[in-house]
Amino acid sequence: MIQDVVWGSSIVAMGAFAALFAWVAAGADLALPNYGPVIASAYRLRGWLFAGAVVILVAANYRTLGELPYVSLAPRPAGPVATAAAIGEQWAWSVSPNAFAVGQTVEFHVTSKDVNHGFALYDPGMRIVAQTQAMPGYTNILRYTFPQPGTYHVLCLEFCGLSHHDMKSDITVAAP
Amino acid sequence: MTTAVIETERSGRIGARAAVLAYLAVCGVVLLLMMLLGLAMRLAQAQSIELSPALFYVLMTMHGAGMVGIAGLGGAAIMWHFLRRYVPLSTGVLVANLVFFLIGAVLILGAGFIGGFAAGWTFLFPLPALSGFQWSVNAAAAYLLGLVSIGVGFLLLYLDIARGILSVYRGLGNALGVKQALGLAPLADGPPPAVAAATMVTIVNTTGIVFGAAVLIISLVNLYVPSFAFDPLAAKNMIYFFGHVFINATIYMAVIAVYEILPIYTHRPWRTNRAFYLAWGLSTAMVLIAYPHHLLMDFVMPAWVLIIGQVVSWLSGLPVLFVTAFGTLTNTYRSGLKWDVAAGLVFLGVAGWVVGGVPAVLDATIAVNGVMHNTLWVPGHFHVYLLLGMMAMMLGFMTYLAGAKSPFGMAPVGFWLYLIGSSVFVLSLLAAGSASVPRRFAVHLQAWLPYDQVGSLGACLSLAGAAILVVRFLALLPAAAREDAAKP
Repeated sequence: MIQDVVWGSSIVAMGAFAALFAWVAAGADLALPNYGPVIASAYRLRGWLFAGAVVILVAANYRTLGELPYVSLAPRPAGPVATAAAIGEQWAWSVSPNAFAVGQTVEFHVTSKDVNHGFALYDPGMRIVAQTQAMPGYTNILRYTFPQPGTYHVLCLEFCGLSHHDMKSDITVAAP
Repeated sequence: MTTAVIETERSGRIGARAAVLAYLAVCGVVLLLMMLLGLAMRLAQAQSIELSPALFYVLMTMHGAGMVGIAGLGGAAIMWHFLRRYVPLSTGVLVANLVFFLIGAVLILGAGFIGGFAAGWTFLFPLPALSGFQWSVNAAAAYLLGLVSIGVGFLLLYLDIARGILSVYRGLGNALGVKQALGLAPLADGPPPAVAAATMVTIVNTTGIVFGAAVLIISLVNLYVPSFAFDPLAAKNMIYFFGHVFINATIYMAVIAVYEILPIYTHRPWRTNRAFYLAWGLSTAMVLIAYPHHLLMDFVMPAWVLIIGQVVSWLSGLPVLFVTAFGTLTNTYRSGLKWDVAAGLVFLGVAGWVVGGVPAVLDATIAVNGVMHNTLWVPGHFHVYLLLGMMAMMLGFMTYLAGAKSPFGMAPVGFWLYLIGSSVFVLSLLAAGSASVPRRFAVHLQAWLPYDQVGSLGACLSLAGAAILVVRFLALLPAAAREDAAKP
C-alpha cells in the first residue's frame, strides 16, 4: 500500500538526514587549520546537491501527478459506474446504496448537511483506501473500485464536534 | 545604518531585553502547560487515563491554539531581539503585542475551560456556530475574539518592524536582498541574514493576518446573525492560508537564532551570498502560494490550484531550508566548537527542520494525501519540525539568553530527554498515521493503542526535558537581564 512505501521511504530519508547532522556534530570539536578550501569544496557540492534535489523534485511530481483522485481529470472507466450518495450530518453518515460487488466502480457523491466532515473509506483491514471532504453546499465526487470483498468502513476524518470519533458507517462488498 | 544601530542600542536597552525575556517566560510556561495537555490527550487515547470526549476536544482546541500562539510569540522574540541590532524598533509595540496576546489567551482559555468551546484551533466555518449544543454562541465569540486580539497584536508588531526596516533600507526589496540575488548590487552591501529573514516574515505574515482577521470577523458576525452566511470553501481557503503562513513563519523567525548564535560558537561568520538572498526571495513568494496543499481533498477546488499546491509545496521549503541546512553543516563542520546546551539546541533545531521536511513534503503529494490526510501522519510531520525544529531553536535561544556562563546543571539531561522523548513521540505519530489512525479522535480502537502508549512515553520524556530547560531559564531570569549574560 502507498502508506507502507511512504513510511519506509520517510524513515530512510529522515534517518539519513539525522545521521548526517549527527556526524557533523560529533566531529565539530575538532578544528580544521585551513577552512577556506573546505568551504570552497562544500559550495561546489551544494550546487550538485541542489541539482540532485531538483531532479528528484521533477521526477517525483511527474510520477505522482499522473495518479490524481479527481474525477474531473480521470478518464471514464470502460465498465458501468454505480452512483452512491454519501451525506454527512453531526454525527452520522447516510450512504445509499451501501452494498456493492467486488470489481464494481462506484462514484460517491459526498456532501454535508451542516459542518465540514471527512469521508474516509477504510478497507476491511482498517487501512484508508480513499477519501474526500464533505462540505455543506458542495458535492465532491470520489470514484473507487472495490478490489476485495468484506465490510468497508466510513469514518469521519474532519473534526466536526463532540461525537466526531463515533461518526461511522459500513459498506458491504460481496464476492462476485 | 550605523546611526540607526547606535540609536537602537541607546534607546531603552534594559526595557527591550526585559520585554524579550518576558516573551520567553510566557512561551516557556505556556509550552509546558500545552505539552501537559498534549500528554493528557495521548494518555487518554492510550486508555491510561479517562477524559470525556467533551473535555478531550476542549484540550485539543486549547493545545492547538496555545502552541501556534507561542510558536508565533517565541519566533517574534527571537526575530525582534536580533533585528534591533540593525534597525530601530519600538519596545512599546513589542510590549503591546504581548498584552494583546495575553488578553487573547484569557479569552481563549475562558472560551474553552468555562464555555466548553471545542471547534479545533482552526475554527472551520461553520462549526463554531453549529456545536450540537456543546458550547454557546458567546463561548465561540470569546474564542474568535481571542484570536482577533492576538492577530491585532502581531499585526502591530509587523507594521512596526516594516517601519523599522523601511527607515534603514528604503524598500522591502532592498531589505530582502533582491538586488544581490539578481546580481545588481555588491554582496557586501546586502542586508544581514536577520534583516532578510525578518523582511520575508513581515511580508508573508502581514498578508496572512489580514486574511485571518477577515475570516474571523465574518465568523463572528455569523454567530449572531446566522443569515449572514459565508461560503464554507472560501472560508476554508482563508483559514488555511492564514494558518499555513503563520505557522510557517514561526520557523522562519526562529531560524534567525541559528544565523546569529551558531557563528558565535564556531567563530565562523554566517556567509550571505547570492544563493542565500535568492532563497529568501523565492521562499517569500512560495510560502504564500503553497497553502492549497491543505485542501487537496476538497475535490471541488480547481484542479490546477491543487496541482500548484503540490508542486509549490515541494519547492517552497527547499531554498531556505537548503541554504540554512547546508550553511549550518558547513559552519559547524570541524569548527572546534565546544558544545553546550544552547548550541546543541540551535543545531538540533535545524536538523529537526530538515528531518521534518520529509514527511511534510510527502503529505503534500496529492496521491499520498489521499490516504494520509487527517491521519496522525499530519500531526506527526508538524510535530517534527515544531518540537524538534522551531521549539528547539526557541529553547536554544532561551538557554543562550539565560547565560551560557551560568552553570548548566541538569540542562544536558534536559536536552537529551527532550531529543529522545520528542523523537519517540513524533515517530509514534508517523507510524500511527501510516497505519491510518485518524487524528483528532478522542477514542481509539484497541488496535491503535500501542502507538498511543509509545507516544505517551515519548511525550512524558519530552515534557520532562522541556521542563528542565524552562525551569533553568526561569531560575536564571535575573541574571539573564544583564546584557552580557548571553556571551558563551
